[in-house]
Amino acid sequence: MIDQLGNGLLLGIIISVASVALSLLYSVTRIVNFAHGEIIALGAIMTLFFSNPVDSRVIYLDRFSPLGLDFVISAFLAVILCGVFGGLLELILFRPLRKAEVGNIAILVVTIGLSIFIRHLYLIFATGRVQNFPLELERRVTYLFFDMTPRNFRVLIAGIIVMVLIGLLLTFTRIGKAMRAVRDSGELASISGINSDNIILITWISSSMLAGLAGIFQGVINDIRYNMGFLILLLVFAGTVLGGIGTSFGAMVGGLLIGIFVQVSVAFPFMEGHIEAKNAVALGLMIVILLFRPQGIFGQKERIS
Amino acid sequence: MNISAKWITTLVLTFSSLALVFVLNPDGQLRILANLLTFAGIYALAAVGLNVHFGLTGLLNFGHASFMGVGAYVTLLLIPHAAGREGEINENGLPFLLALLIGIIAASLFGLLLGLPAMRLRGDYLAIVTIAAAEIFRLLVRDLESITGGVYGIINFSSALQKYRPVFFDEAVISLDLAPAQIWVGLLSWISVFLVLLLLKRLSSSPWGRALRAVREDEDAVRALGKNAVWLKLQSFMLGAGIAGVSGVFLAFNYGFVETTIFIPLLTFYVWAIMILGGVGSLTGPIFGSIIFWAIISETDKIASLIFENADGQQLAGVRFMLVGLLIMLLMIFRPSGLLGKKEELLLNVK
Repeated sequence: MIDQLGNGLLLGIIISVASVALSLLYSVTRIVNFAHGEIIALGAIMTLFFSNPVDSRVIYLDRFSPLGLDFVISAFLAVILCGVFGGLLELILFRPLRKAEVGNIAILVVTIGLSIFIRHLYLIFATGRVQNFPLELERRVTYLFFDMTPRNFRVLIAGIIVMVLIGLLLTFTRIGKAMRAVRDSGELASISGINSDNIILITWISSSMLAGLAGIFQGVINDIRYNMGFLILLLVFAGTVLGGIGTSFGAMVGGLLIGIFVQVSVAFPFMEGHIEAKNAVALGLMIVILLFRPQGIFGQKERIS
Repeated sequence: MNISAKWITTLVLTFSSLALVFVLNPDGQLRILANLLTFAGIYALAAVGLNVHFGLTGLLNFGHASFMGVGAYVTLLLIPHAAGREGEINENGLPFLLALLIGIIAASLFGLLLGLPAMRLRGDYLAIVTIAAAEIFRLLVRDLESITGGVYGIINFSSALQKYRPVFFDEAVISLDLAPAQIWVGLLSWISVFLVLLLLKRLSSSPWGRALRAVREDEDAVRALGKNAVWLKLQSFMLGAGIAGVSGVFLAFNYGFVETTIFIPLLTFYVWAIMILGGVGSLTGPIFGSIIFWAIISETDKIASLIFENADGQQLAGVRFMLVGLLIMLLMIFRPSGLLGKKEELLLNVK
């Protein structure tokens, strides 16, 4: 079981960062974003696009010549691109829908359509092959109790730092406070001089940047495929629900717990020979939580029926 | 738009999409049309079931593929079949109709199970729960290889249904240069569509149907009038799931095999696209939605050839699903009531 803890932490950090992003967006805009997974994938795909070395011909978008930038620079560019993408989604799609007072359920269905559309755009232009970043292979090293490669360890640390920063930003900065104000009541916030349109735009941008970062983590730890975001999306929902929907801190912890739970569940006695079904256990946990403690671990009680 | 204008638009669109398929394919139009209409019948049935959930009762069900899957797997495992990697043949089985009945009951019971969260959860939460439950079902079916055949699936079950094919039917179909087995499945699924619609027509104008619509509009009012809103919701879940179960069985017979990748969430989204296109809450909408939808799908290679010179299978699939996604988005934004739905009956502003 301890062997799986390292893997669990790594999966957990991916889900955790993605859950914080999803939760942030939900709490401010009340949108359950099924296209979240596609923004996750965009982060990884764009990083690969920027970092493909010219000589190794690890080609992604076959039509374009690989750029071969440094990996960290590529990741940085990709995260910014994800932010731009999220901002554009808000400006082109979701803001007009909000102004037209389209209901939440309709918007949920729109995000599903959007998710299918973008995912298969990736399939067409980024191929269905499973790929990896052009990084050297590394041996696993033991850190305290768990084995992981030094690169994955750095990813873990980077993820924790990012989430601490997000927590601080949300708690102490003016924008973070404004976000929470819009979350609690858009109307009251606008009365007190907060431009809720701007805050929602900033939320979309930051949520998408975080999602892209989660995708890069996923690409480093596992691999890159066109549907990688959709594959992990339900686990991200599970993490968000476990921590309490709409609470950023809860989403962090919930995401980590779900990741650890999925990997550690492989070692449960009844799971022997059923490793393929490990995600089912986490999804089942999510349903049970929604039924018996819908506010999650850290959420406040709210009527959701 | 008044009612007759809606109907004229719908009929014109349906026939022109079929005509377009006819014109765009110089060879073998009949085969292509037969294939298209078979899928359209099967998916129309699934969309009718989804419409009971969402259109009639306002339940946001994103696990429809699992209802189809339960119906298909239970029915196929009860009739003679071969399953798994070794293809172990199971000669003994129930007659098809009895197995189908049990399959429908199983799908309904699974609907009951998935409906239980609906008692407590608001719309968007229900969406997450149902899609997750459908994935759990799929992962479990894939995992339980000794029973369900796992990734290797189930084969050799077709004769249980095909042996009822009358001789004159075969002769007629073969004289048209078509495949009798597929036409048989298509015919039976369209017959089922009409039978189910007759049933629903009666039900929805009965006190029970009015109570269901009332649940959709204002649950508290239903409670105040002494009706059991929770039980009504569960009944709706079971009815729609049972209908989806039948559709899943026909889908399996149309493929001639069944395995878990058929029941991925994309199947659910296909059915959603058809329901929205036909008109949420409209009984007959799914018929036309399904035909137009499959006409578009069957011409994706033509559309793909506008983008790519020689599209490979992956690009074709990509273009097809992109169209589905785009269709869902555009309909939801610009015409959420679809072809035949009523705007005032849409339940899109629930909080």
